[in-house]
Amino acid sequence: MTKIAVAIAGCGAVAATGLGLKPLQHAVAANVSALRPREGVPGKMPQPIVAGFVAAEIVESLRAGDALHAGSRAYLFAAAAAREAVDNASAVFASVPPPRRGFVLSTTKANIEALDQLVRQQPVSDVAQRHLQPALLAADLAAAFGCQGPVQCVSAACISGLLALQQGAAFLRRGLADMVLVAGVDLLSQFVLSGFNTLKSLDPDGCHPFDQARAGLSLGEGAGAILLTRSELVAPPRLHLAGTGTSNDANHLTGPSRDGSGLALAMRRALAQASLAPGQIDFLNAHGTGTLFNDNMEALALRSVFGEQVPPFNGSKGIFGHTLGAAGVLETILCVNALQTRMLPGTPRLRTRDPVAPDSLLFEPRPAAKLERVLKVNCGFGGTNAALILERE
Amino acid sequence: MNKLAVHAAAYLGPEGFGNDLTGLRPWPGPLTGPFQRGELEGLHWSLFSASDPSRFLRMDLMCRLGYLAAELLDVNFDALSDASRDQMGVCVESFTGSLDTDIRFAQTPRPSIFAYTLPSTVIGEICIRFRLKGPVLSLIAPDTRGTSSLAEAAEWLREGEAERVLCLGLEGLNRATAEAVKLPAYLRPSRWHAAALLLGHAENSPRARPLSAGPLVAVCRQALKM
Repeated sequence: MTKIAVAIAGCGAVAATGLGLKPLQHAVAANVSALRPREGVPGKMPQPIVAGFVAAEIVESLRAGDALHAGSRAYLFAAAAAREAVDNASAVFASVPPPRRGFVLSTTKANIEALDQLVRQQPVSDVAQRHLQPALLAADLAAAFGCQGPVQCVSAACISGLLALQQGAAFLRRGLADMVLVAGVDLLSQFVLSGFNTLKSLDPDGCHPFDQARAGLSLGEGAGAILLTRSELVAPPRLHLAGTGTSNDANHLTGPSRDGSGLALAMRRALAQASLAPGQIDFLNAHGTGTLFNDNMEALALRSVFGEQVPPFNGSKGIFGHTLGAAGVLETILCVNALQTRMLPGTPRLRTRDPVAPDSLLFEPRPAAKLERVLKVNCGFGGTNAALILERE
Repeated sequence: MNKLAVHAAAYLGPEGFGNDLTGLRPWPGPLTGPFQRGELEGLHWSLFSASDPSRFLRMDLMCRLGYLAAELLDVNFDALSDASRDQMGVCVESFTGSLDTDIRFAQTPRPSIFAYTLPSTVIGEICIRFRLKGPVLSLIAPDTRGTSSLAEAAEWLREGEAERVLCLGLEGLNRATAEAVKLPAYLRPSRWHAAALLLGHAENSPRARPLSAGPLVAVCRQALKM
């Protein structure tokens, strides 16, 4: 691997917590959940649904600000997050000419609600239909932000976000770009909600990751964006993307492997790429969906890699739900926040730790005695696993 | 640095099917137009594999295409060591993705269909079949040529992330499915095909050939002398 260091220049977010990074940071600091019950969700499913919905007034304000894309919530969410990430690094962004700016989109279903409308023969705008195709959504977002370099769209279930960050870093390391805007987005729609409902994966009470009485996941929607640059373009103190790794369980399509070996392999690959030993990781942000099998599998994977010295770790999906293709980006933003504030985040909605989970599981936020390197993991349908390491320079 | 090579190539599309050893062969029976539903309902399974087709018959269109193309490579993955399979990357690229299955699920939500509403599910099916552990990547492209996956695979090989990489370009949408929702023409793939390449470092093997520049589908067709 060529030794070109990749730095994080800016972040942006839209989630159930609200528009922007600040409400997300407040939710993390207060260890509160933005999951809410909602009645009247279309489709045959139990009501209310507890999920991380982006507030209607935020959607309306985004629509009012961009009439051209008002029909595509996926575009509006991703563009809002990307705009914040760019604004947070405006001088750096402006210093890189458009042909040297890349763009990577992460999504599982793009503007999927347009398909719900097509199937029900409801009116659907041209832009809403166009953004059913994830690469066309990526192309439109890249054009809007003047990213004329390489453009790519990753769609790999719930590891999409970490894969997109991996691909963005690869563009920089290969010299294809000097800056890459990475955005992840997914929507709560009838399609997605009814899908997880048919699998009986949803906890009617809302998710409780790593809890003894956990009963399933909660879905969420929104977007996250991270601006990656060649390190020398950003003034210190800098955070680097130090390594990534992926794997497949080769075991089951919709369920995690029982032994955690696939996720452990992805973590070991990320550690190897970053030239780090497990003992050098100070904090880990888990996938932590709140399903019985996922959280069991993760606990096994953590013990496999770290032995009895599992670093402090948390699960974030109690804050804004499982945001699917946005999850890897949004949850990496929480890791960036932890490194910047030197605060370890808690696990909202956790009541009683399942004994299967290592006892370093964080209930509440607390200051970190040492926080230099963070490991982020995600797992997904199809037996996919991904890991990513951030470190302070 | 070692040069990269195509270790095996396979293709199936309207013109026929085959690999770099056999060349392109015609279908034994008529194909009923661009992906009418039912075209691959086990009709040609026996051409590719002697294994139990029950798993194949549960799959959606994209997974069937990927599975058939991987079988058609005629590579004995089972003979590889565990260490080799742990270093076998899988990279899938598609314009259409799982759209055919997405539409079917939106019409009739069933759990057996939902598992296939992701373009990356085919990676899981192939990894389960051949016991491959990755790395993995699933890309949605703005066209059907497979413009990015070969470059990604080449970088994995050069950077030592994988010893070999299975690259797949998969496109297919049943006409009836698309017409049922009046899907705009530009969201339908211009063609259907499954193209598979097994890439690795150059080796002293009669089957290995230098990796030429170009999109996945073109390189694959070139290997079959199409």
